Amino acid sequence: MQANARDVMTTKFHTLVPQTPIAEAVKIFRRASEEEQSKVFGMMVTDEEDRLIGIISMYDILLLMRPKHIHIWGMMDDIDITGLVHNACERAKSIVVGDIMTTDVVTVTPNTHLMMILDIMIKKHIRRIPVVEGEKIQGIVYLSNLFYHLLDKLAA
Amino acid sequence: MPIVVKRSILRGLPVEEAMRRQVVHLGKTATIDKSINYLIRYKVNALLVTDEEDQAVGVVSKTDIMGAYYAALPTESPLEHIMSSPPLFCRPQDSLESALDKMRSRGIYRLYALDPDLEKVVGVLAYPDIVGLLYRYCHSCEYSILGKRRKNQDNNGVHRFQVKEVMTPSVKAFAEDESLLQIMEGLSAYRFGAVLITDRDHVPSGVVSKTDLILTYKHGVPSDVDARAIMSSPVRSCEETEFLEGAIQKMIFSEVHRLFVHKTASQNIVGVLSLSDAARLRSGSCHACVSSRIKVDDHN
Repeated sequence: MQANARDVMTTKFHTLVPQTPIAEAVKIFRRASEEEQSKVFGMMVTDEEDRLIGIISMYDILLLMRPKHIHIWGMMDDIDITGLVHNACERAKSIVVGDIMTTDVVTVTPNTHLMMILDIMIKKHIRRIPVVEGEKIQGIVYLSNLFYHLLDKLAA
Repeated sequence: MPIVVKRSILRGLPVEEAMRRQVVHLGKTATIDKSINYLIRYKVNALLVTDEEDQAVGVVSKTDIMGAYYAALPTESPLEHIMSSPPLFCRPQDSLESALDKMRSRGIYRLYALDPDLEKVVGVLAYPDIVGLLYRYCHSCEYSILGKRRKNQDNNGVHRFQVKEVMTPSVKAFAEDESLLQIMEGLSAYRFGAVLITDRDHVPSGVVSKTDLILTYKHGVPSDVDARAIMSSPVRSCEETEFLEGAIQKMIFSEVHRLFVHKTASQNIVGVLSLSDAARLRSGSCHACVSSRIKVDDHN
């Protein structure tokens, strides 16, 4: 009976280091998606000793791209959009992965039960959880891993 | 004799209509490193610091973090070592005017709105929030020059504030080869948010802001490097005769807190206009609403 993190986790994963500039990280995301033949929306960030120190998602990068004062002018219909995207990209230039990654990372061990992982994902609104044993990353569980695993059971 | 009371359009508006409800906070044992991550991630200038019981016990601003960089504290130090304590509060129902008075008299840039019933912080009010409110007011005004599709493009005989009437008419400039330590000394002595950097020919070549400095601190760069290494270019500027409305619009769109002001047809920087300057003006950005701001009380 497959029921733990180790049974559903993806063991082929990509990592970033905190010093990677955001523009570079975006390219790595794209490359990883091509290699995996599926969209990669989040990556683990590791230190020199391969220890997990954070996680960065497309959402974090989009937060950076979102104009700061959009609540002030977002409803106005006469906004000159030209340059706004350019501005956002300029601002992102000096930012590296470590500046905006999430450092409060929820992790599980290879022996954590599937339903426990599902519960964490739902409660915390997260879609990916690194699987860590000791200080070593073993893999990552995506919401889709859980979904397809459970779907198979459902359809069986 | 009638007493002329100058009314500003802010009169009567409560803090809760201008404050932001998302208050970014961290526990007092969180590291400086993490606080910089939060400041960048949430695009704010300060964080509320809380204790074990979730009570607000202090504030950490970019200025405090710059001080830690200057003092060469490790970025792993806890926020309780550098926070300003206690935070200054107002109530959500307080008038914006009283909040602005408090900010000005205490020399601070933000107030946290404490709900007296919930005994909980429910919002934060800073100068840019007030400018944002004004901007929306001005934008919807029939005399506004904001908004291209408006018919009233001419002045309608209305006097509008120009940048030079509101700006701080002095600028602190540093040379490209001066160190970050020197810049930090300048920033704390003059209470500016950013300094102008000039090249060998005294031509403005960049800006170093507190945001640039705290990022540099987080990236582990020693504080004795030259300004040139971290400055951002080009210098965002406007002409001194530009209308205040236009300058505010420029700041809001390019997400900067200040514009350097140059003379018409010259590279000479003569002043700096900050969002705080604009907020301190307290009214709209033209005199069109002066009539509505003057109330004649008949004291018989």
